Amino acid sequence: MSGGLRRGLADLACRALQATLPPALHSWGWAVRCETAGIPDDTRALLFALSSVCGLMPRAFAAHLLRLFAALTGNDAPFSEGSTIMLIFDAMMRRPRALGIACAIGAVVLGLAYMAIAGAPMRYLGINVGALVIGMTMLALLGRTAAADQRWAGGAIIVMAGALLATAILGSEVEGAARWVSLGGLTIQPSLILLPVMLVVFSRTRSVQATAGIVAAAAAMAVQPDRAMAGMLLLCLAVLLVTRRDRHVVVTLAAGVIGFAATLVRADSLPAAPYVDQILYSSFEIHAGVGLAVSGGLALLLVPAIVGLCRDAENRATSAAFGAVWFASIMAAAFGNYPTPIVGYGGSAIIGYALSLFALPRLAEVHAAVGSQTPGTTDAAPSDRHPLIALA
Amino acid sequence: MVLAALLDAGGRWSHGYELARLSDVKSGTLYPLLIRLEAQGYLEAEWQQPVEGGRPPRHAYRLTASGVQLARANPPGHAVPPADRRREATI
Repeated sequence: MSGGLRRGLADLACRALQATLPPALHSWGWAVRCETAGIPDDTRALLFALSSVCGLMPRAFAAHLLRLFAALTGNDAPFSEGSTIMLIFDAMMRRPRALGIACAIGAVVLGLAYMAIAGAPMRYLGINVGALVIGMTMLALLGRTAAADQRWAGGAIIVMAGALLATAILGSEVEGAARWVSLGGLTIQPSLILLPVMLVVFSRTRSVQATAGIVAAAAAMAVQPDRAMAGMLLLCLAVLLVTRRDRHVVVTLAAGVIGFAATLVRADSLPAAPYVDQILYSSFEIHAGVGLAVSGGLALLLVPAIVGLCRDAENRATSAAFGAVWFASIMAAAFGNYPTPIVGYGGSAIIGYALSLFALPRLAEVHAAVGSQTPGTTDAAPSDRHPLIALA
Repeated sequence: MVLAALLDAGGRWSHGYELARLSDVKSGTLYPLLIRLEAQGYLEAEWQQPVEGGRPPRHAYRLTASGVQLARANPPGHAVPPADRRREATI
């Protein structure tokens, strides 16, 4: 290798490092570049540059990841680049949406580990990773929108309910159940994508539109029929009745009871799909560690709700709704042939989980004492009257 | 070793390549350490204009007063007590 080439490579490495380093470290990128340029020996200059790149690149990527993470959460307050793990942990405890993102990523990773060990086709792993990317992208796009009023929330719920009804009428039918839609060669389950976010948004919304949307969603679940999703709707509304009792919740709960009862009338004869249904048990047959990975991944889904209930009294109804939605989904997977959310194969639940995070507050109201409000007064909280949610 | 090299320099400014040679560490180890020391207030850095024309400016470093204390408290080969390690990690 000629001296000129070595010098050129050293300069190229320095430029790449400069381009990658975050603004706070730009001067260090210049320092390495200038120091490299000052070394008379070409080989030593190249080694100096390459070693610097190896030493500083991980730091650069870490800083960018933290920045990306802050952007995904829609939080304008950036993480400090010098944060310790404890500082990040504490910051996440105060950011329910950020915590949810971390839990989603953790659950997907645990699910990937399960599928890889269980011998699932690599395509399945790719689809779950792709769904995570899509979900996080959608969350980031929604998170950047300005706060909207309740009319937007109500309208969005109506539109999503329309999509669920359309699926029930026009969707792909298997063994008498019409829950799926084919998109670009992939079959998705719209109810797993839309119903969680609809319910969590509804927990922060009081409008006739939103109520009508939830009633329509209950009807859609009855028509499809989908016992798991109908159960999710029913449990969430029952929890809302406890945390936020009003006529909107009562009306939707009545619709939810009727819808769930309708799904019980018809037998659900769908067989279990490998890597999707019943994996909570079958994973333990592979290895105890694999079973724990699946169980741990499912437990992670509930962490944002638990933390929110414990630390954020202002948004207790929302946290409870979020927890009820995903608890119902886990229970359905445990007791029936229904998709195991996030950790099992299937992108719909991953996208649905990411979208439901959007309805969580960006910042928890940690100043509020957990025990300072009675259930009867919770629904009068300012953040519930003026939701911080935004729907595009 | 880097701290020792900086301490040996006294109040004189040192440069990256020189420090890497004197302390026998690779630049990939040196720069992250310098960044940390500067962020924690143990090190000061400045840009120095070249003496000869056509040469690039250089980033130069020397210990602050607290950096000198740190270097004296941790001579080469001296195992850092666990309590000190813990404190450093949480700064």
